[in-house]
Formats: sequence, C-alpha cells, structure tokens
Amino acid sequence: MYDFNFHRPKSLRKAAAILAENEEAKLIAGGQTLLPTMKQRLAAPSDVVDLSAISGLSGIELKGRKLQIGAMTKHYDVATSQVVREALPALADLAGMIGDPAVRNRGTIGGSVANNDPAADYPAACLALNATIVTNKRRMTADEFFTGLFDTALEEGEIITKVIFPLPKRAAYAKFRNPASRYAMAGVFVSKRGREVRVAVTGAGSDGVFRLTQAEEMLSKRFSEKALKDLTVDPDGLVGDIHGSAEYRANLVAVMTRRAVAAA
Amino acid sequence: MAMTMTDSYDLPASREVVWEALNDPEVLKGCIPGCESFERTEEGGFAAVATVKVGPVKAKFKGDVTLSEIDPPNGYRISGQGSGGVAGFAKGGAVVKLTDAEGGGTTLTYDVEANIGGKLAQLGQRLINGSAKKLADEFFDNFRKAVEEKSAA
Repeated sequence: MYDFNFHRPKSLRKAAAILAENEEAKLIAGGQTLLPTMKQRLAAPSDVVDLSAISGLSGIELKGRKLQIGAMTKHYDVATSQVVREALPALADLAGMIGDPAVRNRGTIGGSVANNDPAADYPAACLALNATIVTNKRRMTADEFFTGLFDTALEEGEIITKVIFPLPKRAAYAKFRNPASRYAMAGVFVSKRGREVRVAVTGAGSDGVFRLTQAEEMLSKRFSEKALKDLTVDPDGLVGDIHGSAEYRANLVAVMTRRAVAAA
Repeated sequence: MAMTMTDSYDLPASREVVWEALNDPEVLKGCIPGCESFERTEEGGFAAVATVKVGPVKAKFKGDVTLSEIDPPNGYRISGQGSGGVAGFAKGGAVVKLTDAEGGGTTLTYDVEANIGGKLAQLGQRLINGSAKKLADEFFDNFRKAVEEKSAA
C-alpha cells in the first residue's frame, strides 16, 4: 500500500469536514472492499477516514413495523440478531450468506450499500423491501438510491448513517453463489407487503441491482410459485463472463425467483 | 483479457457536424469520462491522461491515441494504448462509422476491440465488461450534448 493519512473522527460532522478538505479522501467502514483494493494498488486515497469511533452508527432496533439497522452494523450481527431473526428472517438469512467469516465479521451494511457492487447481497434486500437509506444529509428510498453499476445517489461527503426496512408480510432471498468468491451469480429477493410485490435481482445485471418487474406483475395477481410458470428472463442486459453466459444467468434468475417465492 | 463491444447511438445533428466533433480534441477531452488532458502530438496523434474510476478502483491512465483509416465524414479507426501504472494497461481500438439516421440526424456505430492486462484484468474480470459499457454510455451522453450545442450554434 502507499502512504496515506489515517483519521478516526469521533463525530459525523468531523468526518464530513475531513472529506470536504481532502478531495482524494475515502471513507472506511469494514474495509472489506477498500483494503484489498488498496493493497493491490488499484486505489490510493490520500486520506482514509475510519468511521468506527463515531457513536450511534451501529445497532439494530425494531420501531413499530420498521427495522432500523445502523450503517456500521456488521453482517455477522445482522445474521445472528434475535430481533432480525424474528422480525425479518429473510434479511438475517441474507446477511449470513455474505462472503466468508472474515467478511461477515468486518463488513458492514452501510459499506455494502454505499459500494453498490453489482454482485453484493444487501442492495437486493434494500430494493425489494423498499428500504429507506438515511445519510447525514437526507433520506432516500432504495429506488432513488441505487443508480447503476457501483453508482449511488450519494453526493461527495455524504455518509450513510442507517438503513430502515419496513417489515413485509412475506419475504425471502435465494442466492446461487459462485463457489470461490461467494458473490451472487444471481441473487433474488422477493417481498410482499400489503398489495405490493417487489422482486430485486443482484449479481446478474450488467448495470447492477435491478427490479424484475415482469415477475412482480405475475406475483401481484397471485403470490405463488405457480404464478411464475411462464416466467422467462431476457438475457439482454445481463452479465456474461467466465462464470456463466448471459443466457445462463437469465435462467438462474428465473430459478432463483421461483425458489425465493417458494421459501417466502 | 480481450474485450469486444458494439453499439450504436443516434445523434441529432448532421454527419458533417458529428464528424467535426469527432476530430476536435477539445470536444473529445470534454466527453471522455475523467479526462484531464487531450492534446495533439507532433506525430499527428493525441496524448491523453484520464482517471478511470469504477467502484473502489481509481487509476490514472496515460496513453497515446491515433486516428487512421480516416474517411470524412463517414468514419475512422481510433486506436490507443495506455498504461495505468501498477493497475495495468489497456490497448485497443474502435472502428467508428457514421450513417444518416432515418428521419434525420446521424447514427454513430462503434465496434471496439481491446485488450486489458495487469492487475486490472486479474481482479476486475467480473467488472470489466459492465464498466466499459458504462464508460462508453457516459462518453456518448456527453458527446450527444456537445453535438447538440454545435448544431444549435
């Protein structure tokens, strides 16, 4: 790694000020993406701003019909939380499937959401549950927040503080993971809340996480696997790489959607 | 690793206007995502510096760009190679063709063939195609705006 200045501010305001003063500064949460990237010298920020000393950024809280998760909450804590397990078991399952134990014990929900890796798991949950992403400046719905491959609506100097999930009536996540990286080759999160059905796909879209509106329409009529019997997914716009062609992924998306609905 | 990419864009301007823009270093500089400089060299090509930012990766590429098979106002081949230091290197070219679009305007078609090597290729494999498409879209969104301005002027 190259030399850099390390900061460990105690408040969001101080963290934001450091970001504003240093154009090449980067925030670090769990560091599971940034550190490997820096070690490979594919990124060389002048300043690294560690968020771990700021109080109030981690923790899980159930408020009425909403589950609030602090941005610095680790995947392991979500996966093993009794509160999440009871209120939104699909999310606990998802957190338990992320990466490997090292990633789960260091990686955070805020980091995952801010990075918006096209194969990350949390973006699918946020989009399918229509989560609200709260920052030091404003609140955004997941539909507004995820804007494309590695792209979000976050502005320079904006810091995610928590993610709020409205509780669905039914939800599940089905993931076909790459056996080496454990990244999703296709991961599908389905949810039903009131009359609204949402289906979000990660790992397969070449522009990152997206909603499978075709399946949403079929499931709004009847939320069952049978409603999906005619579901075929168009490979156009899906990722084709050494792990699988776009056609293969299109089929995986359809299969994972059926499995998620069966499990919900 | 080798990469190919083909796409076309409709631009609201005549072929002559689009052709002029495609040969204007100032326009290209303004359109290339992250481009810091784009200058004519004595050999008739261009020297370019651009910072490529995709997710956590940020690498500064320095390279040379040359134009060949120049056929005004129908198209050219643009080729280049660049080095991003330890991040890796990229080398490749694109055939750009201009045709009259149905209902006015110009259709620009490109056909890219590129090779990417070094750490970027090793680590970024699952990301390179998506990222390349995204950078191309960004370029052509900018280019469309530039051409619209030229057309209006």
